[in-house]
Amino acid sequence: MAIIEVKNVTKTFGEKVALDNVSLEIPEGKIFGLLGPNGAGKSTLIRIINRITIASEGQILFQGHPISEQDVARIGYLPEERGLYRKMKVGDQAMYLAQLKGMSARDAAVELKKWFVRFDIADWWNKKVEELSKGMAQKVQFITTVVHRPSLMILDEPFSGFDPVNVDLIRKEILRLKDEGATVILSTHNMESVEELCENIALINHGKLVVTGGTDEIRRMHGEDNVEIEYTDNTLARRAIVVARPDVNAKLTELIGQGVTINSFKEVIPRMNDIFIKLVKGEEE
Amino acid sequence: MMNFKKLGIIIEREYLNKVKKKSFLLITFLAPILFAAICILPTVIMMGTKEEAKKVGVIDRSGIVLPYLEDNDVTDYIDLGPDAIADSLKSNLKATGIDVLLSISELDAESRSVKADCYSEKPLGMDTGSMIEDRINDAVEAYRIEQSGVENLEEIMAGVKSNVKLRSYTIDESGKETISESGIYMALSMILGMAIYMFIALFSGMVMSSVIEEKSSRVVEVLVSSVKASELLFGKIIGVALVAITQFLLWILLTGMLLGVAMGIIGKDKIMGLMSDDPTTEMVQQMSPDVNLPGQITLEDSLKAVTDTTSVSAGEPSGMEVIMSTIGNINLAEIGIAFLFFFIFGYLLYASLFAAIGSAVENEGDSSQLQLPITIPLMLGFFVALYAFKAPDSQLVFWFSMIPFTSPIVMLARIPFSVPMWQLVLSIVLLIGTFVACAWASAKIYKVGILMYGKKSTFKDLWKWLKMK
Repeated sequence: MAIIEVKNVTKTFGEKVALDNVSLEIPEGKIFGLLGPNGAGKSTLIRIINRITIASEGQILFQGHPISEQDVARIGYLPEERGLYRKMKVGDQAMYLAQLKGMSARDAAVELKKWFVRFDIADWWNKKVEELSKGMAQKVQFITTVVHRPSLMILDEPFSGFDPVNVDLIRKEILRLKDEGATVILSTHNMESVEELCENIALINHGKLVVTGGTDEIRRMHGEDNVEIEYTDNTLARRAIVVARPDVNAKLTELIGQGVTINSFKEVIPRMNDIFIKLVKGEEE
Repeated sequence: MMNFKKLGIIIEREYLNKVKKKSFLLITFLAPILFAAICILPTVIMMGTKEEAKKVGVIDRSGIVLPYLEDNDVTDYIDLGPDAIADSLKSNLKATGIDVLLSISELDAESRSVKADCYSEKPLGMDTGSMIEDRINDAVEAYRIEQSGVENLEEIMAGVKSNVKLRSYTIDESGKETISESGIYMALSMILGMAIYMFIALFSGMVMSSVIEEKSSRVVEVLVSSVKASELLFGKIIGVALVAITQFLLWILLTGMLLGVAMGIIGKDKIMGLMSDDPTTEMVQQMSPDVNLPGQITLEDSLKAVTDTTSVSAGEPSGMEVIMSTIGNINLAEIGIAFLFFFIFGYLLYASLFAAIGSAVENEGDSSQLQLPITIPLMLGFFVALYAFKAPDSQLVFWFSMIPFTSPIVMLARIPFSVPMWQLVLSIVLLIGTFVACAWASAKIYKVGILMYGKKSTFKDLWKWLKMK
């Protein structure tokens, strides 16, 4: 079932069309990659799902009904351009944001303390934000996004600004939250993390939906339908050849006839990165 | 509809955040010290720094002035003889042991007058100077009277001299007369106009800074994903309004306490007495020496003068009584309520406009150009209010007290001179109506503006945002 259905959404700013009749479905309990070059309209779509801006046409369904204010309270949003009040204490600020999401002060305090311990930042509670490094502030922001146990999390470039250790920490938390049943919309330019985390994706360019569907299907769909055969030949050298699918059987028979050892046999799936570039460039041509 | 729980959370943060700031605490506690000092300082100065009498060396070549120069508290006159040489003395004042050298020329036969020059190392105090001048004029007048040859001219002249003082009463509907001092109304009018201008400018500016802070720190996008932009905007405006009210109450309380303490130490009679230290008092003293000196009037007496209207007709009221009577005659409750109303709605109007401007810029520096059209009416109101006392019911002042952008300030300046109820009501209704319209427009601009980054916004952009769905 889809937690979010985007139905024929169009958004115009004066003359400019930011989103042009976009429709897509975001399946519940999965991680959904929202891809597209800068200025494609991703942020506008995210803001419309969040009800920060209102679509000019079309609508957003949340679990089957038009999205309302109560639903927005079940969303956790980490914007790409994010910040905190510089002069405010970390703890006060996290409490404030959690309460705005509808948590009671008591629940917010309990849950936040847990997260602060988990992220090993418990002793920052009384520090001012301006004393924190960028990475530290990012951790606080991530916590405030997820503390109210949202059923949908919208994370816009969640890994930017983190060192590899913390990227790994955040990645594991995202997976853990997914396992607990949350849906995640991940907007990122990091194609490796898309391949690794996202089961479904949508690619938007110039305000239009280019492609949406399961990540594996899309990769296959855009493959050349080749197979890579790796074998060890008679001289004990390891070799790999790429063969178009119609010729596979013939080639295999030939190789086996030569007496080589087949080590592996796998479909060649293009990298997400290549598909992204191909599709975006293809759009422009 | 607004979510009042969230609105409450926003108001709370805005309020606590501002109230805990060092600058707020500093202003809240320093200003009352300043207010109290303004009230008490004159007393302290008068008490502590009684000047020693100045030694004035006199060279009187006319021969008529010297008898009129009598020693008093501030001056001791020393006759240096008509033949002393001013030039040599004045270059060497200290050695001769005098502070001031007064040189009076010989009588000029034609003008029947003298020339008087005064030399001192330090400038003469204004009072000393004018006192010496008065004495010399007395001498010259007496000389001329004597020269005129008219018999008993001195008595005639004394009989001719007149000293009428206009005493104004205000009559209320029941025909009750109360003596009033227009100076008090004037001062009150200027103070009220200035105070409300200051408050509106200060606290609307605070709202704008707060909007800019949220936008430039980029915290705003997370906020509007949790609450409506309008909730955020009005939470902010109300939060700052509460800060203003807190500060105002603390000022009144602290100033009152400080004055109370000071009166305990210095003595309330002295302070009350000196507060009335104005020309009226002196005149009243001179004219009717049997009336209580202000210094001896107790607070109870003064209050009695206010409540007891018969004291007005009973003899000459003292300056203090006039002032207290005037203050008593002013409807303080009406002024208080009007101040509150006009401050609240004037602030709300300007705060929502400033918030819209704040939403369009990323730092305070960029805001000055966009602020201009809002600052101009505010300043205009301020200047009209400053001069409103000259003609509180004139066409200009009337219209400025009706036009919503200047009315909070100008109306407050008019209020001490009493304004018809229909005008007050009309002005407030217009103000509230304008506020509602502006708040609606500002909320629309704000909603779009806070998410706009990059290029500098212009009025054209603001207009575009306003028209957006």
